[in-house]
Amino acid sequence: MSLTRTEPVERPKSAAPWSKTPPRIRTAIAIASIVPASISLAYLFVTGTPFIVALFTVFLPLQIIGGAYAGYVAHGARGILDGLLVVMTYFLGGFVLVMLSSVLISVVVTGSEAMSPHFFLQNGKYVGPTTDLSYGGLGHSIVGTLMIVALTSVITVPLGIATAVYITETQGKSRGLVQTLLQAMAGLPSVVAGLFIFSMLIISGVTSYAGFAGSLALVPLMLPTVARVAEESLRLVPRDLRNGALALGAPSWRAFFMVTLPAAKSGMVTAVLLGVARIVGETAPLLLTIFTNNGTNLNMFEGGMSALPSYLFLNLNEGTSGSTARAWGAALAIMIVVLILFASARYASRPASLSKKKRKKK
Amino acid sequence: MSSLNEVGKPRKLRAKPFRTADKLFFGVSTAAAYSAIVIIILILIFLMQRAFPAFQEQGILEFVFGTGWEVGQNSAGDIIMRIGPQLYGTLLIAALGTLFAVPMAISIAYFIVFLAPRWLASATTILIDLLAAIPSVVIGLWGLVVFGPVAIEWATILHENLGWIPIFAHDSGTFTNSPFIAALIVSIMIVPIIASVTREIFSQMDREVINAAMALGANRESAFRRVILPTSAGGITGGVLLALGRAMGETVAIFFVLNLVYDRFNWYKILEPEGGNVASLILAKFGEATEREVAGLMAAGVVLFVVTLIVNAIASYIVAKSQPWRKL
Repeated sequence: MSLTRTEPVERPKSAAPWSKTPPRIRTAIAIASIVPASISLAYLFVTGTPFIVALFTVFLPLQIIGGAYAGYVAHGARGILDGLLVVMTYFLGGFVLVMLSSVLISVVVTGSEAMSPHFFLQNGKYVGPTTDLSYGGLGHSIVGTLMIVALTSVITVPLGIATAVYITETQGKSRGLVQTLLQAMAGLPSVVAGLFIFSMLIISGVTSYAGFAGSLALVPLMLPTVARVAEESLRLVPRDLRNGALALGAPSWRAFFMVTLPAAKSGMVTAVLLGVARIVGETAPLLLTIFTNNGTNLNMFEGGMSALPSYLFLNLNEGTSGSTARAWGAALAIMIVVLILFASARYASRPASLSKKKRKKK
Repeated sequence: MSSLNEVGKPRKLRAKPFRTADKLFFGVSTAAAYSAIVIIILILIFLMQRAFPAFQEQGILEFVFGTGWEVGQNSAGDIIMRIGPQLYGTLLIAALGTLFAVPMAISIAYFIVFLAPRWLASATTILIDLLAAIPSVVIGLWGLVVFGPVAIEWATILHENLGWIPIFAHDSGTFTNSPFIAALIVSIMIVPIIASVTREIFSQMDREVINAAMALGANRESAFRRVILPTSAGGITGGVLLALGRAMGETVAIFFVLNLVYDRFNWYKILEPEGGNVASLILAKFGEATEREVAGLMAAGVVLFVVTLIVNAIASYIVAKSQPWRKL
C-alpha cells in the first residue's frame, strides 16, 4: 500500500492567517458595515419611526445578517457565528461609549454656560432660588471641598499606606483578616458612612454639623482605595531588592524607607490620587454631616460648610432654572477636578520604560 | 553509619525585630492595619446602638419585611416604620441594573483584550476607567435632566409594543421615576466595575489554551463560548457580585430618578413610577426626621450595611478563588 496521495488536498481557507485579507473578504466586510447602517438611516428618515425602535428592529437584525454574511464569505459556514459575535460586541460596546460621551458632552456644554470668573470667586450668600447666573457662585464650595478632602487625606494616607506595609512587609498573623475587612469597607454604602459619623458625633452632641465631621465620614470610603493600590504597588517591588538591603545589614525600617518606598514611589502617588478621586464626588455622607452654608466658612470645627457635590445636590433639588444651571456648573467643576486627578494618576503610574526614555533624551 | 542519615529538623527561622526603630516601624504598621478592624467595629456598634430602639419598637422581622412608613402626628401617636418595599426595590433595581450591565461589560472586555488593536484597546481602557471615576451625583444630574426624557420615550415604546408581558404592564399614565430608569442609570455606573474585573481575567488567560482551541478547529465564537467563558466564569461572577453590592449602596443617582412608595410592594411592574430604595429613603427622610425616625433610618442603614456586607463577602470569596495569581 503506497503512502503517497494521488490527488492534491485542497488548502483550507484559513490556512494562511499571516497573509493579507484578500479583496473579496474586504469587500464583504465593507458591505456588511455600510449597507445595514444606510438602509436603516433611510428607513428612519422615510418613515419617521423613533430612533431607538429603528435601532433595534431594523438596524440590529440587518447588521446581524450583514455580520453573518461577512463571516460566511471569510470562513465559510463556521464563520457565521463569528460574524454575530463581532457584531454584538461592537454594538454593546458602542452603546456604553455613546452613554459615556453623552454624560461628558452634556456636562461640558451645559456646564460651560454657567462658567464665568465670578462663578468661581463669589459665594452663594445673596443667591436665592430664583437668582440667575449674573452673580453668586461656588467659591465657598470649592474652598469647602479642598479643606474637607485635605483633612481626610491627612488622616487616611498615612493610615492606608501603613496598612499596605502591614500586609506586604510584615509577617503579621491577621493579614488575611485585614484584607477581608478592607474589601468589606470598600463595599460600604456611602450613606451608611455618613450615618455612622452622624450617630457617633452629631447625635451624641460631641459636635454640631461641621466640616471635620464630613472629613471623618469620608475616611472609611477612602481608606480601602489607598490601601489596596499602595499594597499592589509595594507588591510589585522585587523581593530581591528588599533582601539585598537586609543582607547588607540594613534594619527593616531603613530597608523600607530607603529601598522599597522609593521603588514604589509612583504607585504611592497613584494610590493617593485615586483615593482623592474616589471621595471628591461623594455626596451622601457630606449631606448628613456638614449640612450646608451659603457663605464661606473657613472654620472646620464650627458651623456648616458647603462642598462641591453637596452644592450640586442642593441646587438640583431646588429645581428652578437658575439653580439647575448652577448645578450643571458645579458638575463641570467636579468633573474638571476628577479629570485632573485622573490624568495625574495615569501620568504617575505610567510604565517606567517611558519615563526612562524621556530622561535619557534630556 | 546511621548518623549520616540523621538530618536535624529544619530550624525555624523567625526573625523578630530587635531594634527599637524596627519595633516601632512594625508596631506602627500593625496599629494602622488594626484601625481597619476598629473602624468596622465602631460603625457596627454606633449604628446598632442608635438603631436598637427602632428594632425594639417595630420588631426586627416586621421592620425588615413589613410595609408602611408613617411618622406623622396621628391621634394615637403611633409610628410605623417598615422598609420591606424599599429593601425589595433595592434588590430589584440592583438586579435589573446588573442584568443590563453584564452583556455590555463583557463585550467591552472582549473587545479590549481580543479584538482591538493595541492603541484602541488602551484608549478604550482609559475611557472605561474615566467612566468609573465620574461621581454618582453627576450621573444623577445627567440621568434626571438629559437621560430621563430619552428613557421615558424608551419606556413608552416598550409598553406600547410589549405591554402584554406582565413586567411591562402599566396603568398610571406617567413613565417618569420608574425602577426601569433607575436600573438603566445604575447599569451605566456599574459597567466599568464588571468590565475591569473581566478585562483583567481575560488578559490573564493562558493564550496557549485559546491557540490550542483554534488549532483544533475552533473559530472565534466557539473559542469564546467553550473556552474563554467557562474558564473565566468564576471571576466574572465575582465581579458581577461586587458590582451588585455597589449598585445596592448607590444613593444619590437613584434619589433623583426614583419615586419612593412606602405602603406597598411593587413586585414586577418596572415601568410604573413606584419603586423603593433603602439608601434613597435615608436621604429623603433625613432632612426633617424626628429623633424616633432617625432611629428608624439608622436601622435601615444597618440592614443595608448587613446586606451589602453579605453580597461583598461572597463576591470577594469568589474573586479570590478564581484569581489564584493574586495570592498573598
